[in-house]
Amino acid sequence: MKIRRIVALAYKEWREILRDRLFFALAFVVPASLMLIFGYGLTLDVEHIPFAVVDHDKSAMSRDYLHRYIDSRYFDYKGDVASEREIEPLLADSRIRLAIVIPPRFQENLMSGRAVEVQTLIDGTFPFRTSSSKGYVVAINAAFNGELLGSYISRRLGVSAETAKAMAQPVGVQLRYLYNQEVKSVWSIAAVLMMFVLMITPPFLTALGVVREKENVSIYNIYASTVTRGEFLIGKLAPYVAISVINFLILWLMATQLFGAPFKGDPLFFLLASVIYVTCTTGIGLLVSLFVRTQVAAMMLTVIVTIVPSVLYSGLLVPIASMDAAGQFEAHLFPAMYYTDIVLGSFLKGVGLEQLWGKVLALLIYAVGLWTASFLMFHKRPKS
Amino acid sequence: MNGDPAESRARLYLWWSRLAAMTAKELIQFGRDTLLLIAIAYLFIFDIYMAGSVSMQLNHAVVVVHDADHSAASRELVYRFRPPYFKLGGEVLDNREGQRLLDQGQALVVLDIPPDFEHDIRKGKPVDVQVQVDASNTVLGFLAASYSAQIIGQYGFDQALSRLGVTERSIQNVPMIQSQHRVWYNPNQRDAWFMPIAELLTVITIMAIMLPAAAAVREKERGTIEQLLVSPLTPIQILLPKVIAMTLVILLGTAVSLFFVLHGMFDVPMKGSLALFFAVTTLYTFTTAGLGLYIATLSRNLAQAAMLAILVLMPMIFLSGAWTPPEAMPAGMRTAMFLSPLYYFIEMGYGILLKGAGLDVLWDSLLGLALLGMVIFGFGVWRFKRQFG
Repeated sequence: MKIRRIVALAYKEWREILRDRLFFALAFVVPASLMLIFGYGLTLDVEHIPFAVVDHDKSAMSRDYLHRYIDSRYFDYKGDVASEREIEPLLADSRIRLAIVIPPRFQENLMSGRAVEVQTLIDGTFPFRTSSSKGYVVAINAAFNGELLGSYISRRLGVSAETAKAMAQPVGVQLRYLYNQEVKSVWSIAAVLMMFVLMITPPFLTALGVVREKENVSIYNIYASTVTRGEFLIGKLAPYVAISVINFLILWLMATQLFGAPFKGDPLFFLLASVIYVTCTTGIGLLVSLFVRTQVAAMMLTVIVTIVPSVLYSGLLVPIASMDAAGQFEAHLFPAMYYTDIVLGSFLKGVGLEQLWGKVLALLIYAVGLWTASFLMFHKRPKS
Repeated sequence: MNGDPAESRARLYLWWSRLAAMTAKELIQFGRDTLLLIAIAYLFIFDIYMAGSVSMQLNHAVVVVHDADHSAASRELVYRFRPPYFKLGGEVLDNREGQRLLDQGQALVVLDIPPDFEHDIRKGKPVDVQVQVDASNTVLGFLAASYSAQIIGQYGFDQALSRLGVTERSIQNVPMIQSQHRVWYNPNQRDAWFMPIAELLTVITIMAIMLPAAAAVREKERGTIEQLLVSPLTPIQILLPKVIAMTLVILLGTAVSLFFVLHGMFDVPMKGSLALFFAVTTLYTFTTAGLGLYIATLSRNLAQAAMLAILVLMPMIFLSGAWTPPEAMPAGMRTAMFLSPLYYFIEMGYGILLKGAGLDVLWDSLLGLALLGMVIFGFGVWRFKRQFG
C-alpha cells in the first residue's frame, strides 16, 4: 500500500466532489438544515391538548374544577358542548383530543360527602400522547381530591385547615430530574440529533459516489490501473470521512451554541468517538454501494439501512428500553444506538471513557467489520 | 386540431397508446433491478412489521430503592412499583450507589425513602419521598416521573383514608372524584396500531418522492433523455408514465402491507372505507411525485437528487403530526405543517383506518391535500416542461 497513490486518489475524488458545486454545497447544507429544522420543530412535549367539556352540573364547584384544566398549559380549552353525542365528531375530526364529562349533581354530591365519577374520553390514536394526557388528568384529579379530603377532614374531625391538609396528603413527592433538570426536550433532542444527522448524510454521500463510477463504467480506469483494492477504498472514502468530520464539528457547535445544550463530558474523547462513528456510517454507504449495480437501488438500500433504523432503533423518538426483545435485538444491530449513549453521556451526564468504553469498542468493531467486508467484496476483476 | 371526429379520435388513441407504452417501459425497467425490488418489498413488508414491535410506553423501567426506614409502610410503597411500567432493581445502600446506577443507565428511577417514614406517617407529620429520574431521554423520563408521582400520590391518599377508617365499602361516602378514562379508537393504547401506520405512510412518502425523481434523473445522467426528446413524445408523455408507473408500484406495496401486515399481523381494525383510503393514497402519491419531478429538474445526477430528497423528506416525515403533536409546535412550524401534504395524509390515514371517519368528517383534509397537491404537481410539471420542452 503506497501513501502516494492513496493521496492521489483522494485528491481526485476531492476534485470531483468540488466540481459538482450543488452536491458539494448540499453535503454541508443538508446536515445543518436538518439540525436547524428539527432543533426548533421536533418537540415531544405534550402540551396544549385541545379539549372540550360537557358540564351537566354548571355549578361553582364544577367551574372551579374545570378551570384547573383551562388554566393549565397542558390543555387548551375549545369550548363547551351540550351532550356526549356531540363529542364523537369532534374527536373523529381531531379537533379535540380529550373530553371531560361532569355528571349532574357534581357539586351537590361532593358537598354532601359522596364520591362522584368524572368521565374522561381520550383519543387513543397516538398512544404516547394518550398516556401523557392521562397522566395530567390523574394529577389534576389527585390535587383536587387532596383538597376535598382536607376540607372533609377538617369538617369531620374539627381540626384546623392546616392540620387537615397535612392529614389528607401525608406523603409528598420530591421529584428530581437528573441530567436535564427542566426536562427540556430540545436539550436531549439537539444532542441526539447529531447522531441522527450523522447516521443519514454520510452513507448517502458515499453510497452514490462509488456506484456512480460503476454505473458510468469509469471504474474500469481503476480496474486497469496499478491501484490496489485497499488503496482504492481508502482513497475513495477519505474525502467523505473528512466532510463528515467537518459536519460533525458544525453540528456540535450548533447543539451547544445555538440550542444551548450543555456539554459536560470530555471534548477529546467525544471527538475521537465521533470520528469512529462517522467512519462507521461512511462504511455503511461503501458496503451498500458494493452490493448494488444501479444508483437507484443504492439509494433505496441506503434508506433501508440508515433512515429506518435511525428513526425507530436509535432512541431518538422511541426509547430502546421500552422495546420488546425483537426490537432490542434489531437496535443492537445498528451503530446508532451505541453512539446515542455516547452523545447523551457526553452532553448531559458528563461521563467519559471509563463508563462508555463498551460502546466505543462496539463502534470500533463495527467500523472494522464494515471495512473488512467492503475490502473482501470489492474485486478488481468482477465476474460479469 | 379541429379536424373531423375520426381523426381526433385517432389522435387521442395515439396519445394514450404512447402513454401506455411508456408506462410499460418504466415498469419493465423497474422490474429488471432485482435488488431494488427486494429493497422495496423489504420496506413495505418487513420494515412495517418491525415497526410494530416498537413501543413508546414505559416498559419495565428499572427502579432501585434506597430505603432508610425498612418498615412495613415503606415496603408497601416499594411494592407498588410493579410491572408493566416498573420493575424493582433491588436496593442500594446509599445515594452514591444510586447515582452510579443512573450514570451507567442501569436504572431509570431511584426512590429514596427517608428514615422514620412509617413513624412520621403515623404521627401525621408530612414526609417527603425523593424520586430521582434520568431525564436524558425526555419521553421515558417524563413518563417515569409522572407514573411515580401517581403511585406515591395514590399511596398517600390511601394512607390518609385508612387513618380515617375508610374501607373499600365506605369509599362512596368520601367526597372525591373518581376518574373514569375511556380511550377511543385504540382502547388498549397498542403501539402496534399506531407505529405501523405511521411507518407505512412514511414509506409511501419516501417512495413517492424518490422513485420518480430517480427515474427522471437517471435518464438525464445517462443521456437517454435526449433519445426521448427527439422522439414524437411530448414532455408530458415522458413524465406522466414515470409517475403512473411508480404510483402503481406504491399502491401494490400499500395493499400488500395493509392486508398482510397491518390487518393480518397486528389486527389494525380498518374501520373506514378502504376504497376511500386507496383513493386518498393514489391522490397523495400522484401529487407528491410532483416534488420528485421538481427535484429531478434541479439536479444533474442522482447523488444531488438523493441529497435534495433527504432535505425535503426528513422535515416532512417528522414534522407532519405523527411524531410531534401539532398543538405543541411553535407557531411558525405549525404554519409550515399545513404546507406539508403528509400532514393531510396522516390525518386522513388515521381517520379512515382507526377512527372510521368518512368524507363527511375528512372533507376539509381532502380538500387541503387536493389543492396543495395540484399546486405541487403543477409546479413540478411546469418546471419539467420548461427544462425539456
